[in-house]
Amino acid sequence: MYKYEFLTALREQLVGLPKEDIEERISFYEEMINDRMDEGKSEEEAVAEIGTVDDVVREIAGDTKLVKLVKEKVKPKRSLRGWEIAIIIGSFPFWLPIVIVSFVLALVGFILIWTLVIVTYTVETALWAGSIIYAIAFFMSFVNGAPNYALLGMSVMALGGALLMIFGCYGSTKLTIGLSRRMMIGIKSAFIRRGGKK
Amino acid sequence: MDAQLKRGVLDVCVLAAIKNEDSYGYKIIKDLKPILELSESTLYTILKRLEEGRMLIVRSTEFEGRLRKYYHITDVGLKRIEAFKNEWKEIMDIYSFIDREG
Repeated sequence: MYKYEFLTALREQLVGLPKEDIEERISFYEEMINDRMDEGKSEEEAVAEIGTVDDVVREIAGDTKLVKLVKEKVKPKRSLRGWEIAIIIGSFPFWLPIVIVSFVLALVGFILIWTLVIVTYTVETALWAGSIIYAIAFFMSFVNGAPNYALLGMSVMALGGALLMIFGCYGSTKLTIGLSRRMMIGIKSAFIRRGGKK
Repeated sequence: MDAQLKRGVLDVCVLAAIKNEDSYGYKIIKDLKPILELSESTLYTILKRLEEGRMLIVRSTEFEGRLRKYYHITDVGLKRIEAFKNEWKEIMDIYSFIDREG
């Protein structure tokens, strides 16, 4: 890919960022490519070292706050006339459901991936509780002079399960944090790529 | 490495790269290469953060018919490096306590 192609494609993909940010980033990458070419690298080589446009957009998404992207999306490109504001307010039955639905969808997505964490921690708690309750029941039967060893066995098994489940909790938390982060970057990338077109 | 810790360390690394003389983007990446791999996007974000924190100032200078941005460290930036070195001394003391024999 040539420098001009790369920078044009990048500019098109960054429409959701504030205008000054786009120009600043483009000139930053341009300088980076030029400096590599001055060092004797071919144009294609220099561009390839920067990475793909897609990689760059995702990295930028990771570094940009969602609030900033939403603000840029909401901000009008020029000051609105009175009748335009009236139309926007008047047409709220149309756009309000869309806003609410997208928000709820994102929320449901996050809840879904966090469900695994909730489940593993619930099982963990239940196992601990079970282990303690069986131990108490065994102790009572022991005090009463008729020790019920099945209760002791259940208590030990629940304890074993609880200890094993610690790994489950750790794994699910780590997995979910990773997924949430990726989902967030996905959402932000979408804002950066399409945010400016309205 | 913990993300918060890493961010602080990266900021100071970039400041250290411009400490002795003004430098530009690609040179900073090359100078830091032996100790850490820094992508363009990451460097951009760090430079932006340092500029907002007034730890460096940016000036565009003409170079072979095109503009190149040079980064110049400020007193605030120099103080940040010193503060980091002091923090690190404390961490090293803690480390040697943790790592002591017996």
